[in-house]
Amino acid sequence: MYKWQYQYWLQSVTGIKNKTKQKLVEYCGGAEEVFFIKEKQLASIYGILPEEVQAIAESRKIWDFQKQTEIFLESGISMVTIEEEAFPERLRYLTDCPYALFYKGNYPKNTERTVAIVGARACSSYGRAMALEIGEALSACGVSVISGMASGIDSFGHWGAIKGDGKTYAVLGCGADVCYPRGGRQLYERILEKGGIISEYLPGTAPVKWQFPARNRLISAFSDVVIVIEAKEKSGSLITADFALEQGKDIYAVPGRVDDVPSYGCNALIHQGAGIILSVKELISDLNLDMDKTSVEKEKRKKLLEKEELMVYSCFGLHTKNLEDLVQMTGLSASELSDVIVRLQMKGFLEEPFKNHYRKK
Amino acid sequence: MYSKVTTAVICGLESLSVSVEADVSNGLPMFEMVGFLSAEVKEAKERVRTALRNCGYQLPAKRITINLSPADVRKSGSGFDLPIAVAILAALEVVDIKMLHNTLVLGEISLDGSILPMKGVLPMTAKALEEGMTKCIIPKQNENEAALIPGITIWAVENIKELISYLNGKNYERKADINIEETQIKNITPDFAEINGHRTVRRACEVAVAGMHNFLMIGPPGSGKTMIAKRIPGILPPMTEKEQLEVSKIYSICGMLPKNGGLVQERPFRSPHHTISPNGLSGGGSIPKPGEISLAHLGVLFLDELPEFKKTTLEILRQPMEDKQICLVRQSGTYCYPSDFMLVAAMNPCKCGYFPDRSRCNCRDTQIEAYLGKISRPLMDRIDICVETPVICYEELTGKEKNESSAEIRERIMKAFERQKQRFCGTNIRYNSQIPSGSIEKYCKLDTKQKKFMKKIFQSMELSARGYYKILKTARTIADLENSEEIQQKHLNEAVCYRMIDKKYWE
Repeated sequence: MYKWQYQYWLQSVTGIKNKTKQKLVEYCGGAEEVFFIKEKQLASIYGILPEEVQAIAESRKIWDFQKQTEIFLESGISMVTIEEEAFPERLRYLTDCPYALFYKGNYPKNTERTVAIVGARACSSYGRAMALEIGEALSACGVSVISGMASGIDSFGHWGAIKGDGKTYAVLGCGADVCYPRGGRQLYERILEKGGIISEYLPGTAPVKWQFPARNRLISAFSDVVIVIEAKEKSGSLITADFALEQGKDIYAVPGRVDDVPSYGCNALIHQGAGIILSVKELISDLNLDMDKTSVEKEKRKKLLEKEELMVYSCFGLHTKNLEDLVQMTGLSASELSDVIVRLQMKGFLEEPFKNHYRKK
Repeated sequence: MYSKVTTAVICGLESLSVSVEADVSNGLPMFEMVGFLSAEVKEAKERVRTALRNCGYQLPAKRITINLSPADVRKSGSGFDLPIAVAILAALEVVDIKMLHNTLVLGEISLDGSILPMKGVLPMTAKALEEGMTKCIIPKQNENEAALIPGITIWAVENIKELISYLNGKNYERKADINIEETQIKNITPDFAEINGHRTVRRACEVAVAGMHNFLMIGPPGSGKTMIAKRIPGILPPMTEKEQLEVSKIYSICGMLPKNGGLVQERPFRSPHHTISPNGLSGGGSIPKPGEISLAHLGVLFLDELPEFKKTTLEILRQPMEDKQICLVRQSGTYCYPSDFMLVAAMNPCKCGYFPDRSRCNCRDTQIEAYLGKISRPLMDRIDICVETPVICYEELTGKEKNESSAEIRERIMKAFERQKQRFCGTNIRYNSQIPSGSIEKYCKLDTKQKKFMKKIFQSMELSARGYYKILKTARTIADLENSEEIQQKHLNEAVCYRMIDKKYWE
């Protein structure tokens, strides 16, 4: 029997607080000792509740070492416990720090600069664009992006980081070997190329509702700065922001228009004193990072546009416009406009997130 | 005594002549009918016997045998009553059999001897003329329909007594002259001038109709999809006389010709509700009747709320859209109906309908994909032009700006039709949308620069081969609308703008 097999068992025990697990290990001297300690002695430890003693006793009885070891080894997931030197420093002082972490790939090093990008699942194309842009800019500056791999902003944050050729880590609310949402398989694989998938849950744990708010504390704990892009009035992302506040992290929010429902939470955060993201450039300099040259190039390319194209292009701000809006704004006929739009699209100035909706690239 | 009368039965779209033979001989008194009869034809026996008695012709206590031949074709429909009655009268020598030579007899009779209208008179009369008949005896109410076929004498009769007098030498006089032009009431279709804003959709609509391209509108509820679709009949160019006859035949079989007579002059516009059954769409029954796709022949089939249609119903469209006809195989034979229609469809982008407006749409990505995924990829591939119909803002909605009327749009479309007619002269292609992929090179020539552009489009937009050809065909129509022989870069650009919604939403 190896030490880690007992550690794996200790992490699997539910019904006792993470704090208690730490205390037990400190008191007994290791997970193996916790497994073999007598119930009477266990109950005498100060601060341990009778139901927690019960929970440990129960799980000791039913735990099948051989079977569980097989499951763990087969999953190909690594484990790091708080007992080890390698355990992330950032988590160590968390009030509700998990006893062990499971991960695939890597987890952020102590010296790595990290930023969390979180936001709504049902995001607008504005949010999507911001998440991609911020993710890309940050990772181009060598910052790792941390998020939860949920659909919407989380995913786009990861994708942005992948586009910027940087590291990105996903903290899941299910087992690290479970790809949730299921449609995110491609993203899951891409994250593993440079970064990693992290979870405090045992391999194979199914995604359960209550586990997701809990993993948000890990997302904020892993990051130096938390960026919220699009959060409705009641949003899981605001939970992450609350955790970040508790943990003393910097919070930035992407502002939205006052009547944009998906931006209400962000604007509220700014109201409460979160940092405002005026532009990606400003954000980079706020974080004392080196700006890369991409946006300068864009300005240069703009000079190549024809008069009509420039006119149409100038109608675009951060928000998406549809053809009908543009017909009104430019006064061009529908056929002329569609011609110009496709030209701009092919020159790489515009993209089409949804049928006949266009946006600056 | 023996007599023979000719009548007809509808088989699909074609009419088949049937001879009704009557024999009255000595023997046990009975009335026997043979010849593969359906239930409604068997019932003719009682109707004929009673109607004749009520007209004063008591059937003698003899053995009466009726045979309808050819015996291997199932006889169905209500039009056999009159020919049977006439055949019996001829066999009894009440009427002159010579008068029935080369004559087609059609009609249902009621117990008091009056003659009731029936379906399918138009194709039957047309067929009779082809077969060298000289006279048609038809119900009075079907007179207008049969009058559409010139070159054949029509006797439109109201009751049996009247018919007997004609057959016995009384001169037939047409009761009232009908003037088709006058009797035809023009359908009042709503006008495009009533639509404010929506300039892109109007334009896309014009392009779609000009090349009879299948057309899809995606937009939130209340954005005007149905309103625009309802105005499409107003910009459809008129049908040629040959086309009118083609459509009228289908409507005749279904008994849907205008009551006051005349051909179907306007292109059909059919908009079945989304609860329609597969058979309702394709045509069905043991002797299949034409379905909505055939009733929309040479016109428009409008499917509102496309994803709400049952999947099995929608998938039926695939094959008729390619072949321009549907062949229904039944135990009694194969029935082919034409189905050369332009599909116009409207749908919401997601369940709640407001995507991509995230302040109103709360649907998850997977839900949106599931909603759009209700339409299968193969069906989507058959749609040439797709546009978004945005919600129109208040200023646009109440704007006083004068909009183009349907008549102006229609004029341009007719010119484009003319160009297509000249181009496809001598081929079986009617419109740009029907150019087969093999002839694309011939009809949609591109120069080297444009070819390079299309290559770039093909790669960057991840087009399928079908999608690529569709852009070229649409560009051809746009060029036709501008009266340009060559496809120019701007035509291609506009066509690219109307291409089908991106792949990522359809998987």
